[in-house]
Amino acid sequence: MDNLTNLPNSDGFFGEYGGKFVPETLMHALKELDETYSKLKDNPKFIEEIDQDLVQFVGRPSPLYFAKRLTDHYSGPQIWLKREDLNHTGAHKINNTVGQILLAKAMGKKRIIAETGAGQHGVATATVAARLGLECHIYMGAADVERQSLNVYRIKLLGAKVHAVDSGTATLKDALNEAMRDWVTNIEDTYYIIGSVTGPHPYPMIVRDFNAIVGRELRKQSMEQFMQFPDAIVACVGGGSNAMGIFYPFLEEKNVALIGVEAAGSGLSTGKHAAPLNDGEPGILHGAKSYLMQDKNGQVIDTHSISAGLDYPGVGPEHSNLKDSGRAQYIAVDDKEVLSSFHLVTKLEGIMPALETAHAFAALEHIAKNYKSDQHLVINVSGRGDKDINTVATMDGISLD
Amino acid sequence: MEYPLTRLDDKVFSLKKASKKALVAYLVAGDPDLDSTLELMHEFVDAGVDILEVGVPFTDPIAEGPIIQAAHDRALKNNTSLNDIFKLVEKFREKNTETPIILMGYMNTFLANSLALKDAHISGSDAVLIVDIPGECELDEMGIKNKNLASISLIAPTTSEDRISQICSSSSGFIYYVTLRGVTGSSHLNIDEAEEKINFIKSKTSLPIFAGFGIKTPDDAYNLSKISDGIVIGSSLVEMIHEESDQKKFKKIYNYLHEISEAINQ
Repeated sequence: MDNLTNLPNSDGFFGEYGGKFVPETLMHALKELDETYSKLKDNPKFIEEIDQDLVQFVGRPSPLYFAKRLTDHYSGPQIWLKREDLNHTGAHKINNTVGQILLAKAMGKKRIIAETGAGQHGVATATVAARLGLECHIYMGAADVERQSLNVYRIKLLGAKVHAVDSGTATLKDALNEAMRDWVTNIEDTYYIIGSVTGPHPYPMIVRDFNAIVGRELRKQSMEQFMQFPDAIVACVGGGSNAMGIFYPFLEEKNVALIGVEAAGSGLSTGKHAAPLNDGEPGILHGAKSYLMQDKNGQVIDTHSISAGLDYPGVGPEHSNLKDSGRAQYIAVDDKEVLSSFHLVTKLEGIMPALETAHAFAALEHIAKNYKSDQHLVINVSGRGDKDINTVATMDGISLD
Repeated sequence: MEYPLTRLDDKVFSLKKASKKALVAYLVAGDPDLDSTLELMHEFVDAGVDILEVGVPFTDPIAEGPIIQAAHDRALKNNTSLNDIFKLVEKFREKNTETPIILMGYMNTFLANSLALKDAHISGSDAVLIVDIPGECELDEMGIKNKNLASISLIAPTTSEDRISQICSSSSGFIYYVTLRGVTGSSHLNIDEAEEKINFIKSKTSLPIFAGFGIKTPDDAYNLSKISDGIVIGSSLVEMIHEESDQKKFKKIYNYLHEISEAINQ
């Protein structure tokens, strides 16, 4: 297997994936960002500032928790939960925004923009922008504004402006389109905080690096708590930032199985899903080459998932490379499995996972049987589920009004 | 100067010889429908357009403002594919063998049809302009292997001097200077900045430089034509096409283009 750790290369490629496929107006800004990040990432003062924020503002490290009743339920491996849901703002997304806002500050940008699907990245961005007193605009698909109304209100309370995007499918991909258009227009004073390991280089690298704190903590915690690295790490994959963050520090540990879980929506065979690594072809969207849900003419096709955060036709380019290299394995679970997993975990463990995260839990139905009781499997609990109770109630036929 | 070989070089050469500014006009293939697009292409030429830029619709056109986005959506509702566009060009060539045609779109649609693109020049296309590939990229490295198609690159106000040199050396046909920071159809036109940048580009290439993005009125066109070798009009045409698509009478567009054409060559 090729070296997977020292990627991307200087052009932003992970194998054949990644790159910078953007309108010319953005090329200079990407170069500027790349240079700023390269200069700062090993700077002790910058690292100290981020570390301090992660400890005192985010509440890191997040615990590694033994899920006893879930372990008993499956009679497979010992199941451990990496509790990113306990972070400030309720998800892993804050790890990235805490870092990127410091890049924005270093570059002297006054205006922050971001896209969001489930609203968690919007909340995490509005939070760090509020803290630094920067103007903040969040783009969100109109369909997602509807199904994630709690997070929309949180974003507004934090002083950011939410722009509902009606174009295209009115979901995450269209929010990204609109955020990029804003960036092209306001390139001089605006910093775009991309929320996943997607987009043009250097974003997939930067977002991964800021989220890799999760995997680094897990290396230490697993040694302390069960005296070895995990046998498997399971994480949900939309754009793939929570997965990349926990996978990356283990890429060279070949005995650690890395399992990403995509959204099979109504089922892979129905075509109504959001699982490009399982059922897509390489293509170019939002600045990077990666697996993509597209038709034979290269048009991006509509996706479907119960979870707004995974409802995206593309995936981070590094995941595409990990798939092709065989280092990580990608499976998919459908909406029904996800919903029943949401209920199971809530009842057995007293932890209400986000619907995105519930995809990782639902994978246990398929893979738990492959592991023995002396093995250790870690699930990245990427976010908490409070934001999803309206969706869950609707799916269960219950009215909350 | 070496005698020009391609239709695009030929056009550029003859405009230069006649000291004329080029008028490049954009429309989206399949909006409102392919028959209308064909009719409009001929109409454009009659009104004084020198080069046609045919938009290839894409689901996620990130460089386009709302007007052209909506046109892409309408064209896709009609299932307009790149293959349909090759046929459209072939039909256009039955009556017009002189006006160069540039296919303008996004990388994913071209990549998905890279095999068909090998014959694009045979059906009558002359160049491609792919909005979302870095200007210094060679098309064949990207999987689009057709040496008979010119590759038009964009240069923006934010493009550094180093990149301008790189882009100029991998371009053919002409250089498309984006006059503003923004999406198509915006209104932040800055003539002074454009002039400074265009003069710098001129020092790096002998290719003609056409300016576009944000040109609406004959005055805009006139002002930009003074500092460039030609202008590109897009959003305002696409808007008019949509306004008149019910009656499919495009007289207003003819008059508008005629006026622009006069303005840039007065």
